Amino acid sequence: MGKLNYLTKEGFRNLKVNKLMSVASITVLFSCLMLIGIAFMLLVNIEAFISGVEGENIIMAYVDDAATDIEIKKVGLDLEKIPNVQSVEKINKEEAYRDILSDMDENLKVYLEGLEENPLPDAYRITVRNMSSFDTVVEQVKSVTNIFRVRENSSLAKQLSDLRDSVTTISIVIIVMLLLVSLFIISNTIKVTMFSRRLEISIMKSVGATNSFIRWPFMVEGIVIGVIAGILATGAVWLVSEFALSSLTSSLSIVGASVEVNFIDYALWLALAFVGIGVFTGVFGSATSMRKYLKERKFVELEEE
Amino acid sequence: MIEFNKVSKKYDGAQFYALKDIDIKIEKGEFVFVVGASGAGKSTFLKLMMREEVASSGNIVVEGVDLNTIKNKDIPQFRRSLGIVFQDFRLIPNMTVYDNVAFAMRVIGTPEKKIRRRVPYVLSLVGLNEKSKSYPRELSGGEQQRVALARALVNNAEIIIADEPTGNVDPQMSYEIVEMLMRLNEAGTTVIMVTHQHSLVRCFDKRVITIKKGEVISDTPAKVGESATAHINAASEITNEYVVPPDEDYSAYVSRSDAPADDADDSQDEGGEN
Repeated sequence: MGKLNYLTKEGFRNLKVNKLMSVASITVLFSCLMLIGIAFMLLVNIEAFISGVEGENIIMAYVDDAATDIEIKKVGLDLEKIPNVQSVEKINKEEAYRDILSDMDENLKVYLEGLEENPLPDAYRITVRNMSSFDTVVEQVKSVTNIFRVRENSSLAKQLSDLRDSVTTISIVIIVMLLLVSLFIISNTIKVTMFSRRLEISIMKSVGATNSFIRWPFMVEGIVIGVIAGILATGAVWLVSEFALSSLTSSLSIVGASVEVNFIDYALWLALAFVGIGVFTGVFGSATSMRKYLKERKFVELEEE
Repeated sequence: MIEFNKVSKKYDGAQFYALKDIDIKIEKGEFVFVVGASGAGKSTFLKLMMREEVASSGNIVVEGVDLNTIKNKDIPQFRRSLGIVFQDFRLIPNMTVYDNVAFAMRVIGTPEKKIRRRVPYVLSLVGLNEKSKSYPRELSGGEQQRVALARALVNNAEIIIADEPTGNVDPQMSYEIVEMLMRLNEAGTTVIMVTHQHSLVRCFDKRVITIKKGEVISDTPAKVGESATAHINAASEITNEYVVPPDEDYSAYVSRSDAPADDADDSQDEGGEN
C-alpha cells in the first residue's frame, strides 16, 4: 500500500509542479463542460417550457345542458374509451363557476352576481397522450353523444410538438459536438503535458520502472483534473442558469408562462456526469497519449535525431 | 557478463547495417571503453545491450538474460540491473539533487525508509553530500554528471552503461568522472563507457573496443602493468592519431608526469586501426 500511496502522492505532486499545465488543462476541461452544461440546461428548460404550454393545450368538451346526471356520467366513460386519451377530468359547473368568481375582478363580479342561474355547462377536460394523434382524438370527442361543443387548438399543439422535436435534435447535436470537441482538446492538452514530461518518462524507463508505475501518477493527475473541472463547471452552470432563469422568468411572466425547471433538481446529476466525463477524459486521455511514450522503446533519444 | 554472438542490426528501412557481426564478450567486473565516431554504431551497441532495440540477427545475453527471448513485461526488471548515464545528464530540473537520485528508487517502488538510508550514502560516494538540497541548475556540468552517476548507482546496478558521460563536461571533470567510474569498477561493477574522446581513453589502461561503420575494428585488452603513457606514445608513433588535442589535455590530470605533448588534429579519431 506504500507504493499506491507514493504513486498517488506523486500524481498530486506532478499537478503542483506543473502548475501552469494543470491550470491550463483544468481551464480547458472546465470551459468545455460548462458549455455542455449550459446547452443541457437550455434544452431542459425549453423542453419544460414547451411541455408547460402543451399542458394548456387540452381538449375541453362541454356537455349538453339538457343531459341528465346519468348521461353526463356516460359521456365521461365514453371519453375514457377513446384511444390515446391520457386523462379525463370532470369539471362541475358549480366548481367552475366558483373558480371564475374567485379569479374575477370585484367590479366584474357585480354583473355575474345578478344572474340567477349558473351559466356554465358541465365539462370534461381531456389530455391527450400523444400529440401527433391530437386531431383524431378531437374528432372522436366530437362524435360522443351529448357533447355540444369542443374547444381545442390543434394547430398550436402541432406547432409546439414540431418545435420541441427540433429543439431536442439541435440540442443533442450541439451537446455531442461539444463533447467531441472537448475530448479532442483534452487529449491534446494531455499530449502536451506528456511531451513536457518526456524527460521523467525516459528516466523512469531507463531505471526499470514498470509501465503501470509510470502510468499511475498520470492517471491520478487526469482524475484530479477531471474532478476539479467537473466541480467548477457544475458551479458555473448553476450560476449561469440561476441568473438566466431569474431574467427569463420576469420576461416570460408578461406572456403568462412560467419556467419551472430548477437547477437544483439537476445539480447532482449534472455534477456526477461532469466528474464522470472529467475522469473518463482524464484517464483515457493520459492512457492513450502515454501509449506512444511507453510503446516506443526510445528512451535514449529525447530529441529528434 | 555481456555476450554478443554474431549480432547484426539493421534498422527498418535502412540500407546499411548499423552493426554487423559483432562478437564481444565482456566479463563481470571489466572496464571497457567503446570508442568510435558518431554514426559508427556505438549508440546501437548500447541500445541493444539495454534491450531498447532488438538485434536483427545473432543473440545477446546480459547477466544471464537472453535479450532475444525476454518477455516485454520482464524488461523493466532486467533494466534494474543496469545503471545508465547519459551525455545530457537527464536530471529533472525541478527536483533537488536528493530527489533526483531518490526518484530512481521511488519509481521502482523502493520503501521510503530504505531510500533515506541509501541516497545520502550514494551521494557521498560521488562527493555531493553537501549539495543534496541544491537544484541541478545550481551545479556545474561535472557535478550534474556526478548526480546522474549517483542515480545510476543507487539501485545497485551490476553494470554501469555510460553513454558519452564526459561529452558536456570540461577536461578536468571528465577525468574525474572516469576515475569515479574506475573506483566503482574496482568495487566490482562492470563499466561500459562509450566515448569519442580517444585522448581521454588513453589516460587509462583499460580495454578499448573501437567501432567503425558498424564493425569492431579493434579490441585492445587492458594493459596490465604497462605504463599508460608508454602505450599512448607507442600508439601515436604508429598511427599519429592517438593524440591529445590542445584544448583537451587530460594528461595534466594524470598523476604520471610523462604524458605525451604531441599536438595534432583529433578530428579523425575513429580511424584507430591498430
